[in-house]
Amino acid sequence: MSVFSESLKAKIESFLTRYETRRSAILPVLHAIQDETGWVSDAQIEELHHKYGLDRIHIKEVITFYDIYKDHPVRKYQIRYCKNLTCHMLGAQDAICRIKEHIKALDAQLGEDGPFSLEEFPCLGKCDGAPVMLVNKERIEHATVDKIDTILSKYAPLPK
Amino acid sequence: MAEQKPKIILQTEGLPDQHSLKTYVEKVNGYTAVRKVLGGMSREQVIEEVKQAGLRGRGGAGFLTGLKWSFVPKDITGPKYLICNNDESEPGTFKDRYLCITNPHQVIEGMVIAAYAIGANKGYIYTRWEYQEEIGYLENAIKEAYAAGLLGKNLFGSGFDFDLDHYTGAGAYICGEETGLISSLEGKKGQPKVKPPFPAVSGYLGRPTIVNNTETLANVPWIINNGAKAFRQFGTEKSPGTKLFSISGALNKPGVYEVPLGYPFASLLNIEAGGMQAGRTLKALIPGGASAPVLTPAECEGLTMDFEAMAQRNTMLGSGAVMVIDDRQSLAELLKVTIEFFAHESCGQCTPCREGTGWLNNIMDGIMERSAKPDNIERLRTVARNMGGKTICALSDACAMPVMSYVQKFSGELQAYLAAGSGGHSK
Amino acid sequence: MSTETVTFNLNDRDITVPKGTTVMEAAHKHDVYIPHFCWHPGLSIAGVCRFCLVKVDNRPKLEIACNLQATPGMKVSTLLPEVKEAHKWALEFHLVNHPLDCPICDQAGECKLQDFYMEVGKYKSEMDRPKVLKPKALDVGSDLVLDTERCILCDRCVRFEQEVTKTGALGIFNRGDRAVVGTYPDKKIEHNYQDNLVDICPVGAFTSRDFRFKQRVWFLKDQPAVCPGCSTGCHVKVYAKPQVRTYFRVKPQESEVNGHWMCDVGRKTYKHLNQDQRLRFAVAEDGKGGRKRVSVAEAIASLAVQLRGVSASDIALLVSPQYTCEEYDALFSFFVKKLGVSKVFQWREPTESLDAFDGLLYRGDHNPNTLGLSEALAKVGLAKEVKNGFDDLARSGAKVVVALAPEIEFQFPSLPAQLQKLSELAFVSVWATAGSAYNVKGLRHLVPLKGFAEKKGTFRNFQGKVGELSKPFPAAVDEAKDVVEVVTALAEVWAHA
Repeated sequence: MSVFSESLKAKIESFLTRYETRRSAILPVLHAIQDETGWVSDAQIEELHHKYGLDRIHIKEVITFYDIYKDHPVRKYQIRYCKNLTCHMLGAQDAICRIKEHIKALDAQLGEDGPFSLEEFPCLGKCDGAPVMLVNKERIEHATVDKIDTILSKYAPLPK
Repeated sequence: MAEQKPKIILQTEGLPDQHSLKTYVEKVNGYTAVRKVLGGMSREQVIEEVKQAGLRGRGGAGFLTGLKWSFVPKDITGPKYLICNNDESEPGTFKDRYLCITNPHQVIEGMVIAAYAIGANKGYIYTRWEYQEEIGYLENAIKEAYAAGLLGKNLFGSGFDFDLDHYTGAGAYICGEETGLISSLEGKKGQPKVKPPFPAVSGYLGRPTIVNNTETLANVPWIINNGAKAFRQFGTEKSPGTKLFSISGALNKPGVYEVPLGYPFASLLNIEAGGMQAGRTLKALIPGGASAPVLTPAECEGLTMDFEAMAQRNTMLGSGAVMVIDDRQSLAELLKVTIEFFAHESCGQCTPCREGTGWLNNIMDGIMERSAKPDNIERLRTVARNMGGKTICALSDACAMPVMSYVQKFSGELQAYLAAGSGGHSK
Repeated sequence: MSTETVTFNLNDRDITVPKGTTVMEAAHKHDVYIPHFCWHPGLSIAGVCRFCLVKVDNRPKLEIACNLQATPGMKVSTLLPEVKEAHKWALEFHLVNHPLDCPICDQAGECKLQDFYMEVGKYKSEMDRPKVLKPKALDVGSDLVLDTERCILCDRCVRFEQEVTKTGALGIFNRGDRAVVGTYPDKKIEHNYQDNLVDICPVGAFTSRDFRFKQRVWFLKDQPAVCPGCSTGCHVKVYAKPQVRTYFRVKPQESEVNGHWMCDVGRKTYKHLNQDQRLRFAVAEDGKGGRKRVSVAEAIASLAVQLRGVSASDIALLVSPQYTCEEYDALFSFFVKKLGVSKVFQWREPTESLDAFDGLLYRGDHNPNTLGLSEALAKVGLAKEVKNGFDDLARSGAKVVVALAPEIEFQFPSLPAQLQKLSELAFVSVWATAGSAYNVKGLRHLVPLKGFAEKKGTFRNFQGKVGELSKPFPAAVDEAKDVVEVVTALAEVWAHA
């Protein structure tokens, strides 16, 4: 019994033969898994090892090295807020505080079902739109503190 | 009104469907340079043209591109690789992403020519994961190129094959270092490799590999079509050509601008970027990304945007990431942001960097909490000074140099921050 | 085919090496010490510790010696003040997050960090901030304890797993100063070469569970020897604290036989040498059907009497292939040549698989001197084929048996049953290092022997290479003798009996 959906299996198999070595497929395979489930579980690593011959330690090293991969369950909307130089200059910290307040309130109500998580992120590469945040794959610019409520409520209702 | 700036890189900027193959081919002579190269130029001729043009790497190091290509051994069999470093992770840099959505085909054409010059039949564009929109544009452009026979087998009937694939990163600044990128492409942690051997001799999977920045590659078609001499009409003698500058901060028009190298900073700030927002004055300048030593306003007098002028001021042009620090900013906070970034991004292989960046971050935390003794500010400089020049890659230096410049030039403000009571962060 | 050589200058000394040699390799071969952590002659180059920095010609930046190929006329210095300062800071960075575990760390006394601190440090550290904490005292193998906080991330262990055992059981996870070495969560290292990780770890990150907290290394003395665990005959160093006559561990000695490594089985070959495992005194019949403690001289005398009372065809030898060539020569010189004994049987483990080989060092012939025994037999005209002779001995009808017992018992599962069987045959004199013969009440004549680390002699390994036991420890047991000494005394008594 596989832990991967049929479509994910097809993607994995196609990545494994796409590059010069099978090991090179590790990054794209992990992205494909996360695109579907948001994170990479131990069971999935075991199947990648037993069924597809990828080394467990190679996979674990990659997961723990790169910022994007998660080895624990994630929330529906992962917010990555840039805390680097220009974003810091143009109000990142105030916006981050506001987001944290919302998350605290939501998690108090909903626990692990709270829709948002927040990662203060090293860089998003869009300083002319500072301050910048990502919600999953969507980039939102000029995400100043006064706009946070509106931005977040597009994804999930905020408590009063 | 500013005079018309030369457009070598952003040729399609502003045109309808600027990113499409159709626009590139029909409006700006797209894919004529590669046709010229494959139609009868030898590899040596291509390398020579780029050498004569004096094109320097646009990713930060500023190494002569033609010279780098010439390091690839010529008389060996087996695969070689041409890789476009689209990892663009230096804080303050956002020009390669702009290039990808504006004129992706010029990057692709540049890659085909570069690959031909070094004898590579396979290429990768490696883009950072955070650039999801940009990856879409690139993958689309690659599809268009394949469909039109501009990538693949026997290009223009020349017998030269070139296959191009896209590979997405996963959130690691160190993958912008060329051997870190190669490690990542190999499916590993993005840890830079000990040199020698250098990638031109032994890179991706131990094969000869050239890694070039996106913007660097985008210069190549224009140089081939117009010649080295025409390229040298722009810029300065040591820094010929144009450059994409990312300029950001509390400005009226932050953004990406293509101007000739040697362009005055004052013009870039006040004309292209529309000047600082009302009521703000210049407190400090970061001219070339977070790893560039910071400049005081006095040092910005008469500053021109080229490699030599920056070197003269003991800073660097880098990738052209200009961050304007206005008078409302706290330099202590910005120093903390800078150090924290490098501590987070250190790959962890080499001891001076792994422990040094962590230690600097630790000391800085003590300063930010205001629990540190005043001599800790000098300690930042001592630690930084000993982190440099000893590691596998330049991340250690990239952290150390700005730290030393903050302490050297703004220690008064840092001391004042430490001595202050509570609160007092910038607005 | 001649090798091209290169001559370069290291600390004002001209050194000539084959082309392609690195400065570090050259220094290693010519006894010039360049401080380092991550380089190891048995592993690939990592270049991560950044400690082996040297000054080269007039280059502005220092270079690492481990990745620097020697070129003709190159001038290298490790002694300039610039280099010394670099060493000082290299050490300072290594110590930033290193826990002050010395008082409880087994590595103390043989720790590179301590050694370098004495050499280039001895300063007051400027690091006064909280350190990064990581998991400690992890069980990652049957003999391995891993302390990831002490680890300096030199990557030697990871490379060992990849390149030597090819098991790849270790990785380094996370980035920056959160980087941590380890196995895949909840998995352990399971091969027969775990303790090499303890050897190559420059600090107390990987330590041996067997050795843990047992002894401070500055009280230990080591002597070279040959491992008696199998026919490979790895060159080893045996460590003991002579004042208390106790052995503590065995480590490999670099040689062309075993490279830099040895297996974990061989590491256990010190345990039987300790007093509580030994046959501590000679035993002889008490004349009342029982047995009593006697001096070795008395035991030898009573054996001589037994031998005088029978003809040569009633005497048999049962000989383990774990004794030295010199001991066999002395034994056969007396029994075969002088006395005319022809019944000589080899004492081997019946369930052994001689062709077994784990691909690295450990062989299925769990004896150090099978070849030596065969050659000694051939020299005196006896059958030299490798064959377990216990059953033949039992059927031979011999009335007096002299049995030289296998020294390494843990690889001889059939031994207890065989000792029991021996005690039911005629008169048996068992000469042994280990004390298990004493536990068989029916064995009433015993002579205590020295262990492999306590005598001089030679073994011949599976390839016929000579391995020397040249620097013995004084025996842990006062009464113990080696076979040469026993036979010499026996021959003396025999001549005058």
